[in-house]
Amino acid sequence: MSEFLNMGGYAVYVWTSYGLTLAVIFLNIVWARRLLAKSREDARRRLAMRGEQS
Amino acid sequence: MNTSVIETSATGTSAFEAARLVLARDVRLALRKRGQLVQPLAFFAIVTTLFPLGISPELSRLRDVAPGVLWVAALLSSLLALEFLFRDDAQDGTLEQHVLSGQSLTWLLFAKTVAHWLLTGLPLAVMAPLAGLALGVPAAAVSGIVLSVAIGSVALSLIGSIGAALTLGVKRSGALLSLLTLPLSMPVLIFGARATELAIKGAGFAPPLYLLGALAVLGITLAPLAAAAAVRISLE
Amino acid sequence: MAWTWFHRLGSPPYIYGLAARLTPWFAWSAAALIGGGLFGGLFLAPPDYQQGEDFRIIYVHAPTAWMSLMVYSTMGISAGVGLIWRIKIAHAVAASCAPIGASFTFAALVTGSLWGGRMWGTYWEWDPRIVSELILLFLYLGYMGLRSAMDDMQRADRASAVLAVVGIVNVPIIHYSVLWWNSLHQAPSVMQLGKPTMPASMLTPLLMTLLGFTVLFAALLLVRLRAEILNRERTASWIREAVTS
Repeated sequence: MSEFLNMGGYAVYVWTSYGLTLAVIFLNIVWARRLLAKSREDARRRLAMRGEQS
Repeated sequence: MNTSVIETSATGTSAFEAARLVLARDVRLALRKRGQLVQPLAFFAIVTTLFPLGISPELSRLRDVAPGVLWVAALLSSLLALEFLFRDDAQDGTLEQHVLSGQSLTWLLFAKTVAHWLLTGLPLAVMAPLAGLALGVPAAAVSGIVLSVAIGSVALSLIGSIGAALTLGVKRSGALLSLLTLPLSMPVLIFGARATELAIKGAGFAPPLYLLGALAVLGITLAPLAAAAAVRISLE
Repeated sequence: MAWTWFHRLGSPPYIYGLAARLTPWFAWSAAALIGGGLFGGLFLAPPDYQQGEDFRIIYVHAPTAWMSLMVYSTMGISAGVGLIWRIKIAHAVAASCAPIGASFTFAALVTGSLWGGRMWGTYWEWDPRIVSELILLFLYLGYMGLRSAMDDMQRADRASAVLAVVGIVNVPIIHYSVLWWNSLHQAPSVMQLGKPTMPASMLTPLLMTLLGFTVLFAALLLVRLRAEILNRERTASWIREAVTS
């Protein structure tokens, strides 16, 4: 198992690459979802303001 | 002060004739503001002077970094000079007149870019070998430097015209203009520095020079089209 | 019949609803494909006889590099469509692509650098493919920067679209640079039709990750597209129902 983790001595290269890529994937998901949530919130607020005006 | 262009376009001047008039006008006007023209060249001189101060005064070491230094300085100077390409005309409404004139905007912008190159790129091609000599470059390399900077700066002016057109009217557009222009200019830098390096070594520098020429031709054919589209969008 | 479908694509509420319905399918498929592909790449594929264990970086480097090109192509094409035919939703698609593409281009450059650090002994080399990939990252950033510099949405759309279209020339340069120049990168081994030079145990996880990342892009794009549509459509009547559900 430790041999596997070591990746033949080049562990740092392989695991850093995988870690970075997974981090980029994860960050993309979080970022996109947050953007959508914010847009929905902004839209609700705009509609509420317009509702008050009419 | 530029009614001549508008009148002749109304009477059906050819695109080429209109372009020629714009080129002549731009050169004439720029020569009246010589202080503005000198700025990029002064910048080039200052930047190339900084490197020996920062690296080492030994000519042998400077000679090794000379290609990179000359070309980075040339790139930054041409970036600085880009501010003058459209700014004055955009401010006084001449650019709008160009768009409305019914003439081919592509040709007019091409003419402006050629004028810009004559006023900034060509002088740079003359200054670069001087800076090179100061950096320990052998005299035999002068022709290579002049040719590569002359051709490379054509490409740089054209690539820069796209970014300049896109950022018309954006306040403090310097950083954004650099972000748009420098990446597309990287191939010019690479081939230009390579040609200079070969010239310094005394080897044949034709292959990278041809590639620079190819980039210039690509720029001539495509850049004015993109710049025209960008100007129209910016003035909408 | 065909035109009805096409016209519906230009309708923001339709796209919004479609995107909402499709996203879970794409998201879970992507998770399965990427998870399976990485698992296969790490545990099932045998070590390469030349490079040993660290060839496994290919299972993250190849998909991220593929993403950087594919996303840019999508962005450039939809920007072009928006520019030429003045279809607003196309600009929304292009705007949604940019942050995704930029982050995966960054990942491609870093994973490539790490792989190169071992394979070629140097973490950075100015070979044509790496340089043009770096230019691609700057093109993404320039697109995003140009957008944010302009207050008027229409002007931001159209100006950034010009940049996106101009930058498309970089995509074939990146792809063919390994053929045109003698460089550090090897010639394509997967894309040649006919005889792949990789054994199936190595190839299958790679294809899975490539497909998985593509599907992930679709899911991310749809989520961002919905956000874009909401921001652009402001207070159109259909939005009330969409956001209060």
